[in-house]
Amino acid sequence: MAFNPLEEQGIPLHKQLRSWSELNSTPYDTEAVHPHTRCRVIAMNGIEIEAIMNSHNAARRIADVGVRQMLADVRRVEQQQQKAVNWLIPAGESVLANTIGYEQVAVDLTAWVARNEPDPYLRQVYEFGLLEDYDHLYRYANLMDLMGERRKAEAVTGDLTEILPGRPTIFHHRHPHDDLRRPMTVQAAHFQSILNGLTVLSAEQQTMNFYMNVGNRPEDPLARALYLEIAQVEEEHVTHYESILDPSMSWMTNLAIHEYNECWNYWSCMQSEPDPRIKAVWELHLGMELEHLRLACEAMKEVEGVDPEEVFPDKGVSAPLVFEPNKQYVREVIARTVQWTGYDSEFVSVDDLPEGHRFFEHQRTVNRDGTPSEQVIDRHRTEFGSEYRFSTEGDHPVESLGISGTTEQSGYPNPSAR
Amino acid sequence: MAEGEKERGGATRLAEKARGVVGAVLGRVTANTLGAQSAKTFVKNAAIGDMYELEAAKLALANAHSPRVKDVAQQMIDDHTTLTHQLRSAMRMNETGDQTSLPTEVDERRKQMLDELRRVPDDEFDKLYLDQQVLAHKETVDLMTGYAARGDNPQLRSVAASGAPLVTRHLRHMERLREELAA
Ligand SMILES: [Fe+2]
Ligand SMILES: [Fe+2]
Ligand SMILES: [Fe+2]
Ligand SMILES: [Fe+2]
Repeated sequence: MAFNPLEEQGIPLHKQLRSWSELNSTPYDTEAVHPHTRCRVIAMNGIEIEAIMNSHNAARRIADVGVRQMLADVRRVEQQQQKAVNWLIPAGESVLANTIGYEQVAVDLTAWVARNEPDPYLRQVYEFGLLEDYDHLYRYANLMDLMGERRKAEAVTGDLTEILPGRPTIFHHRHPHDDLRRPMTVQAAHFQSILNGLTVLSAEQQTMNFYMNVGNRPEDPLARALYLEIAQVEEEHVTHYESILDPSMSWMTNLAIHEYNECWNYWSCMQSEPDPRIKAVWELHLGMELEHLRLACEAMKEVEGVDPEEVFPDKGVSAPLVFEPNKQYVREVIARTVQWTGYDSEFVSVDDLPEGHRFFEHQRTVNRDGTPSEQVIDRHRTEFGSEYRFSTEGDHPVESLGISGTTEQSGYPNPSAR
Repeated sequence: MAEGEKERGGATRLAEKARGVVGAVLGRVTANTLGAQSAKTFVKNAAIGDMYELEAAKLALANAHSPRVKDVAQQMIDDHTTLTHQLRSAMRMNETGDQTSLPTEVDERRKQMLDELRRVPDDEFDKLYLDQQVLAHKETVDLMTGYAARGDNPQLRSVAASGAPLVTRHLRHMERLREELAA
């Protein structure tokens, strides 16, 4: 299956604006929705928000009034698309249930990308982030149970994603320098690597935004604490993923790549969407994006003298991004890399960090008065007698994490003690 | 996934253009940088340069008199460790192919420089360290700016372009420190 957005006809820009009532989408039914439809809605909201903020950043740095007009025209539509997508989420889906959806996106999106990443270094970058969001899912799932929600987390994720400890969240807190990776280059990277990077970054950035804003909505102090701890990790994830993108890209090339990525994402959503009403949204938005892409390519050519064929693959993209179960893959990554941490752009086992490494001081500072992601598991054990987990594939791949998701009993090296 | 020419984002013309821009900003041609256009030479010299910096800075932490020299030595350890890691990551990417591997030892010339640092009389250590630092960083600046402008591999050009401003600040800092401590 191949798709070349440069050869497709889009909807003319002057026909793209919609009315308030058209934008006010009827929300999906949170009980009946396919979990991966929820994932697509959450992910595409993130894609639109990246499109909007990227356009704003460009507008602030470009004096050319013609380019500013083009950016404003397209951005107004991106904003409408964001509303149409994000308003699919119903009020009856609690913030916490929606949070579970966000982490399911982070798991199944990142796992697909990792499995389909042609570059071995970048694959490691995705596998590294994957295990952390996987652990967030498990910590939030325990919180959800504690907060007396009417549903368990598995009712949100379905049986598509297991809910088990990954790399324990307490160990995600690294010195900022150890979240900075090596960038790819637009000239030499496989084009799929560029789409992968931008897509995962967009999802992570919106996850960060979401927790930054909704994390203070719960009343329970532990819930507030867990959101703020994980929100700080999402800042790390945004730093981690944005640092793999080529920082030398020119503004219009960057814009065109963003629009191309939106095309690829909506086209991908269309391929697997079972809900015909929501599929129609993906289809409509793809039509809009094709025109955004055409305009961005025109600007790239006119303003920067760069031909689209110099940037984009001549046959288009070959595979749609698919939300699908990744259970065995995630288990394999856990078994292989649970002990990793960052050291500048490299990944090393936490045991191999030199004595006195900045990681340990950072750990001591932030964890010195206790760690919410540990406390939430403790409290679940106290109130329910055991941890909340959801597993369909047997024992945990790491024996100690199979016994306990908190670190004092897990045998996982405790860096704060060093 | 198929690995067609164009799927790599081919873009020869784009690469040429980017090179022109970087060259205009960083362009500083010296005899030293002319040999720096091949990936092999760049990787070898960059890695050896970092190894020398780390070794020399360790000696300075142990033997320097001025606390300002010790501070700058610690900064060299931090920054050249980062540069080492960036290069190592780059070498694991498809973009660099398997055209060359990282050296594991410094060359004869740097070995001699380090030996001199080990043998120098105690009260002359700071001066020798700073003299070597100015010299070594001039070379590194030429290597990085030269390769960023004219190197043959896009990923390694990106490595060079990301390190060049940092080592340029190192050079200015070392020159200033040497002047101030001599006064
Ligand atoms: Fe959009
Ligand atoms: Fe997360
Ligand atoms: Fe994340
Ligand atoms: Fe768009």
